[in-house]
Amino acid sequence: MLFRIDPTAGEPIFAQLAAQVRSAVTLGRLAPGTRLPAARDLATSLDINVHTVLRAYQDLRDEGLVELRRGRGAVVTDRAGADFVPLRVALDAVVAEARRLGLSPDAAAALLREALR
Amino acid sequence: MTPSRRPASSHILDDDARERAMTSTTNTRSRVPHRGATAFWTLGVPAAVVLGTLAWALSVRARLPEPVAVHWGPDGADAAGSFAELVALPLAVVAPPIAIGMWALASFLGQAALTRRIAAATSVWTATFVSGVTLATVAAQLDAPAWSAASDLTTGVVVSLVVATALAALAARLSPGDVPQPTTAPPSADAARLALGDHEHATWVRSTHQAGLGWILGAVALVTLVLGLATRDVLLAAVLAVVLTLPLLAMTAWTVTVDERGLTVASRLGRPRLHVPLSEVESASTRDVRPLGEFGGWGMRTSVVTGATAVVLRAGTAIDVQRTGGRRFVVTVDDAETGAALLNTLAARSR
Repeated sequence: MLFRIDPTAGEPIFAQLAAQVRSAVTLGRLAPGTRLPAARDLATSLDINVHTVLRAYQDLRDEGLVELRRGRGAVVTDRAGADFVPLRVALDAVVAEARRLGLSPDAAAALLREALR
Repeated sequence: MTPSRRPASSHILDDDARERAMTSTTNTRSRVPHRGATAFWTLGVPAAVVLGTLAWALSVRARLPEPVAVHWGPDGADAAGSFAELVALPLAVVAPPIAIGMWALASFLGQAALTRRIAAATSVWTATFVSGVTLATVAAQLDAPAWSAASDLTTGVVVSLVVATALAALAARLSPGDVPQPTTAPPSADAARLALGDHEHATWVRSTHQAGLGWILGAVALVTLVLGLATRDVLLAAVLAVVLTLPLLAMTAWTVTVDERGLTVASRLGRPRLHVPLSEVESASTRDVRPLGEFGGWGMRTSVVTGATAVVLRAGTAIDVQRTGGRRFVVTVDDAETGAALLNTLAARSR
């Protein structure tokens, strides 16, 4: 998968990374059993600290999206595949409805953020 | 072709000019480096091994029975023949054609180090293995009263296999690598790109696996079983299984990475690891690969038609990188579009 980070953005880098994996898993682009790149390799590729990647992986583990196995790295859990199907369906519905109403992505996101508060 | 001055045929002029430009690219492409080293590894070393074996066999000819054993079955020697049949035939029939073929491949299509290494290893392996087995067949009947008294070949074959593999690995390792050939020209505008912010760092990582792995492992197991039954030797079968399976296993699962260092295709075991530095990427594209038609099979390959090097694991989408020095590298991987686009984007940004 594609990982991209912007060190000049306000959001911490570990959060940027975790968000990308999270959306890839919830949108079904990362299948259960997929192995994420080794933390050291990803850190070298993105020219960031390995602890930043580990922090992102740990957050994802705490959410139950990946399993951290010694020697095998981070693996997308089976749970991640199944549990997020209803959410994916619901998100599709939100997107469709927002488009029907002509809401801008920012406005729709703001509504969602408000609802989650 | 005489260039026409009529405006109506100006596009022909353009075509002509384009053709000339392409021909000059083809000319740079045919400049293959390290031909001396190629001759040394594909012809020199194998010739020395084969001729050395022949010389030794001739020197001990008087100590061999007449006729000599030329074929072995599960119960030892089972057919007799002439000395020429035993020694000259295997050395002349197998090693020279392979050596000449590999020399030609690496001399004419060896722009990439991978091609030169595959050629060196293949030629050295073949010459060493055939010579080793020939040595073993001669040694098995030295001072024997008759050909039927020739001893067992198992140890000789196993040792030949191990020594040949070790020498081939050494030849591959000592063959000269690629010298840096950076370019400052950005990839052409029609090469796919990816929207990337000025401050953004990006990497694309994808696993790719050998198709039909189960069949391959099944075939290896079957060969091992058949060898084990044929030789009635558990040790031989086990050594053969390890020697045959390890390189195969190392090349079944790969990770493809695109980042600011370039394109890296590494076996899950870490080696082999193939790298195209970002500075040598002229442009990246995607296309469908036909493993048998283009590369004659699967695995780490060189096309004998185009000289393109490749990691081919299945049919279908692949990243195709045009590299400086007339080199081309192909790897079959899913979502190749994203990988190629990121490679072009990073290459353009670095120039």
